[in-house]
Amino acid sequence: MSIPRRRRALAILALALALTLGAAACGGSSGDGDKSTAQSGPRTLTIWLMTGSAPPAVVDAVNAEWKKAHPNDTVKVELQQWNNVTTKLDAAIAGSNPPDVVELGNTLVSKYAAAGALQDLTASRGQFENNQAWLQSLTESCTMDGKLVCAPYLAGSRAVIYRKSMFAKAGISKAPASIQELRADAQKLMSSFGSDKRFSAFYFPGKYWYAALPFVWDHGGEIAVQDGGKWRGALDSAEAQAGLAELKALVDCCSRADKQGDELKQDQAFAQGHIAMIVANGWEKGVILDKKEGNPKLEKDLAAFPLPSRTSGQTAPVFLGGSDLGIAAKSKNQDLALDWVKLLAGTNFQTQMATVGGVIPNTTTLLDLHADDPYLSVFDATAKNSRFTPTSPNWANVEAANVLPDMLVSIFTGRASIPDATKQASNQITDVLNTGS
Amino acid sequence: MSSTRVRKTAPVVRPATQLAGRTAARPRPRSRRLRPLVPYALLAPALLVLAGVLGFPLYRLVSLSFQQYGLKELFAGKGTFIGLRNYRDILSDGFFWTVVARTVVFAAVCVGLTMALGTLVALLLRNLGRPMRVLVTAGLVAAWAMPTLTAVSIWQWLFDFEFGLVNWLLTRLGVDGYTQHNWFDQPLQGFAVIVVVVVWAALPFVAITLHAGLTQVPAELEEAARVDGAGAVQVFRHITFPVLKPIFLILATLSTIWDFKVFTQIWVLLNQRPSREYFLLGIWSYSESFGVTRYGKGAAIAVVMVLLLMLLVSFYVRQMLKAVGP
Amino acid sequence: MTRKRLARAGYNAAAVLVLLVTVFPIYWMVATGFKRGPDILSFEPKWLPIPGTLENYRTAIGKPNFVQDVANSVVVVVVTVLVSLALAFLAALAAARFRFRGRAALIVMLIVVQMVPLEALIIPIYLMLDHAGQTDRLAGIIVTYLTFVLPFSIWTLRGFIVNIPEELEEAAMVDGCTRAGAFRRILFPLVAPGLVATAVFAFIQVWNDYLIAYVLLRSPEKQTLGIWLASFTTNHGTQWGGVMAGSTLFAIPAVVFFLLVQRRVVTGLTAGAVKG
Repeated sequence: MSIPRRRRALAILALALALTLGAAACGGSSGDGDKSTAQSGPRTLTIWLMTGSAPPAVVDAVNAEWKKAHPNDTVKVELQQWNNVTTKLDAAIAGSNPPDVVELGNTLVSKYAAAGALQDLTASRGQFENNQAWLQSLTESCTMDGKLVCAPYLAGSRAVIYRKSMFAKAGISKAPASIQELRADAQKLMSSFGSDKRFSAFYFPGKYWYAALPFVWDHGGEIAVQDGGKWRGALDSAEAQAGLAELKALVDCCSRADKQGDELKQDQAFAQGHIAMIVANGWEKGVILDKKEGNPKLEKDLAAFPLPSRTSGQTAPVFLGGSDLGIAAKSKNQDLALDWVKLLAGTNFQTQMATVGGVIPNTTTLLDLHADDPYLSVFDATAKNSRFTPTSPNWANVEAANVLPDMLVSIFTGRASIPDATKQASNQITDVLNTGS
Repeated sequence: MSSTRVRKTAPVVRPATQLAGRTAARPRPRSRRLRPLVPYALLAPALLVLAGVLGFPLYRLVSLSFQQYGLKELFAGKGTFIGLRNYRDILSDGFFWTVVARTVVFAAVCVGLTMALGTLVALLLRNLGRPMRVLVTAGLVAAWAMPTLTAVSIWQWLFDFEFGLVNWLLTRLGVDGYTQHNWFDQPLQGFAVIVVVVVWAALPFVAITLHAGLTQVPAELEEAARVDGAGAVQVFRHITFPVLKPIFLILATLSTIWDFKVFTQIWVLLNQRPSREYFLLGIWSYSESFGVTRYGKGAAIAVVMVLLLMLLVSFYVRQMLKAVGP
Repeated sequence: MTRKRLARAGYNAAAVLVLLVTVFPIYWMVATGFKRGPDILSFEPKWLPIPGTLENYRTAIGKPNFVQDVANSVVVVVVTVLVSLALAFLAALAAARFRFRGRAALIVMLIVVQMVPLEALIIPIYLMLDHAGQTDRLAGIIVTYLTFVLPFSIWTLRGFIVNIPEELEEAAMVDGCTRAGAFRRILFPLVAPGLVATAVFAFIQVWNDYLIAYVLLRSPEKQTLGIWLASFTTNHGTQWGGVMAGSTLFAIPAVVFFLLVQRRVVTGLTAGAVKG
C-alpha cells in the first residue's frame, strides 16, 4: 500500500543528491584545464583585473596578442569589484587554484608579498620593456627585501580640478603658485559665493587622506620612518603637524564638505555646481561629466593645476595611487602569466592605456604622451614628484584600521587637537607596523 | 482508506494554554510498532549535510581560535598553536568589554523596540476595519519581503549627507544645522539610524505573527474582564498577554539572536569601513580576520560571541526543553 | 457614540502612520529608480518621478551577465529551497513525532548553530570546498546555503508538526494505514502551510545573500544577483539611480512570493509558534 519509510528516506536522499549533482552539472565550470599539471594539454590562464582599470578594448587587444604566442591555450579575464576584494583574495590565494595574474592596489602588494603569495620576478625583470624607467613609487611598491615581486601597471596622481568661470568671477586670473596663494584664492571665492550655504571653495571630505598627505610631505613630514629595523610613526613630528595645521586652516575657512565623509562622492557633488576646487585624480573628470550622474555641460569649464608647494613655483609631492600586476606563487602557469604581464606592462599597451584610458602609464618614457592635452599633462607632471606609503607588509593593516582617516576626522571636527590626534595615530602606526605577524 | 473523511476534519486550533499541557502521556494505539532506528534514519540526510558542510568549518573555527594565524599562515596552510593566548588578549582588552556592552545594549534596544512596537501594531490591526487592516497588512508584508541589501540602500539614501530626504525634512521644519549633515558623525545618532533600519525590517514579522496569535485569545474572556471594569492595560496584562506568551517568547528569542548578529546593516551604512566606535562583536570579528588578517583572534572573538549569545538565550532554551520532554 | 467615532478615527490615523512608515521608503526606492540623474541628485527632492526615464533600468539590466546572474540565482534558490524542505521535513518528523536519545541535544544544537556568525566561517568553508574542487561552482554554494538554512527550517517545521494532533494519524493507523502512509496522507497536507512558511524563509535567506556568493564564486558567468546589486557601488561613488532600479528588480520576486503565500505563512506560523 505505501512505501516503507526507510526506502522513502533513501529515495529522498537520492533525490537530494541527484539535484545537487544536477546543479553541479549545469554549473560546471569550463576552466578545469588549469587544474591539470600536464604541461602539454591546453591550459587556461586566469587573470583578475579590477573593474574600471583597463578599458575593455585594451584588454581584448592584449589577449589577442598573447594568443598569437599561445594558440592552444585560453585566457580568462575576471573583473573584480573593489569592495571586500581582500576577503576574496585571501580566500583565493589560500586555496589550491588562485588566479595566475592579479591586479593589486599598490598599497596592498607588500602584505601579499610578505605572505609569500607573489612570485619573485627579479630574475625576469630584464624581460620587461622600460623596466629601467619605471615610475619610482610604483617600483617601490613592487620591491620587497630587494626583490621584485610584481610589475608596475598603472598610476593615478592627483591635482586640483577647478571651475574656470568661478575663478574668473572671483577675480582670480591665474592658478595659484604657492599654497598661501591657494588659500587667498579660496577666501576670495568664499566671499564671492559663500552666501550659498552649500558652496565650498576647496571641497575637502574629512577622510580624504590621499589628499592630506601632500601637505604633510610638503612641510618635510613623514608617515613613518625606519629606525634600525623598526618602524616609527612620525606624524607627530613638528613638520607633519605644521602641514596638517595648514590643511585644517584651509578646510575650516573654505570647505563645507562632510567632515566625516570620504572622497567617493566628490565628483557627483562637484557636478552639482556648488564647488570651486577639488583635489582629484585625472579620471575623475569623466565622472564629473558623466551623462547620467554628472553634468556634461561643465566640460568647457574644467581645468586643472598641480597642488602647489609652500615654496612658490614648486608643486607639493603627491601620493601616487596605482596598481601593480602580480603573479601568484602557486600558479601552475608561470610562463603564460609572465608573457601576459609583459604585454600589458609593455610600451605598446601602456601607450594605449594612457591614450584610451587616460591613466598614467608605468614608465617615465611615456609620460609625454599627454603633452598636448593641457588637462592630462598636469597630472603627468605631478606624477614626477610623487611619494608612497611606507613599504611595510603591515601597511595594509594600518589602512584597514582606518588610522589616517580617523585621525583626520578628529582633527577637522575639532574632537582632538592636532598634537593629540597625531600622537595617537603615530603610536597606532608604530604598533601596527611592527607587529610580528 | 478514506482520505476524504480525514481531510474534512479541520485541524483543531487549541488555545495555547491547553496545548502546553499536552505532553502528558497518552495511550499508544496497539497497531503502532516500535522501530527505534527510524528517527535516526529520518534525521540522517539532514544531519549528514549539516555535519559535512558545517561541521568541519565549525571545528576549524574553534581550532583557529587557538592559533596564531595571519596571511602567511593562511597561505602556507598551517598556523602556530598558541593555546589560550587569543582569548586572554581579548578578555584583558578594555575594548572587548566596551564592544560587548555595546552589542548587548544595541540588541536589547532593537529587540525591545521591535517587540513593543510590534505588539502595538498587532493590537492596532485588531481594532481596524477590514479595508484598512488589509491595507496596513499589505504594507507590512511589503516591508517584510524587502531583501536586506535593498532596505539598507534605501535608508542609506534617505539619510544621505547632501541629498537625503531626512535632512531636507528637518531643514524644512526649521531645525538648525541639518542642511548637510552626516548622521554617522556621532555614534549615538548613527546607531539611532541603524536601529531604525533594523527595527523597520524586523517589525512586520513580529506584528503579523502577534496579530494572528491575538485571534486565538478568547474574546469572551476579554469582554468579561472589561465588563468587570478592567482598563485596557489591565485587560492586556492579565488576559491577552498570558495567551500570547509562548509566541512572544519565541519571537523575542529569534529577535535576540538575529539582532545580536547584525553585521550587514552597519557594514554597508558605514561604507564598508566602520570606525571603532561602531564595532559590534560580529564586526570586530570580521575586521580582525579580514581587515588586519589576524584570523586566529577573529575566530576567538566569534567563539566568544556564540558563547555569550548562548548564555543570553539559555533561559528560553530551558523553557523549550521543558516543553519538549526527555 | 462620538467616543467610538473618535476611537475609530484615532485608530485609522495610527494606521495611516504605520502605512506611511512602512511603505514610503519603498515608494521612494521605486520612484528614484525612474528619475533622471539630475532629479535624483537634487537638493530639493522631487516627489514624483515625472518626467521619468527608463535609463536606470536599462543600465541595471544592461550590466554584463545580468541574464546569467538571474538564471544562476533562480537555480540556486530553487534547488536550495526544495532540497532543504525535503531534508528538513524528514528531520522535523523525527524530532516531532519520535522519542529518541539525543532529541533534546538535537534541539539545542539546532538553536546554537544559528548563533554562529556567518562571516566567521567564510574562510574555513572556502578552504573545505576548495579541497573538494567545488569553489566557483553553483553546487558548492547550494550546499553551503543548505547548511545555513537547514537548522532554522528543521526547527520551524518541527513546531508545525508538533501542533498537529497525533490523534489524526493514530485514527488513520487504527484504520489500517502504516505509519508512513499516515505521514503521507494525513500529516503532509496539514503541514502544508508550515512547509510554505519554511520555504519562504529559506528563499529570503538565499536570495539575499552576498558574502557567500562573492567569496565562493569567481567566473563572471557564475555570479548571482546579490553580487550584481553590490556592483553599483564602485570606487567612483555610488550610482544611486542604478542602485534603486536594481534594488526594485531584486526585491520583486521576494515581494511577489511573499504576497502569494502571506496568509498561509501566518496561519502556519502562529500554530507552530505556540508549541515552539
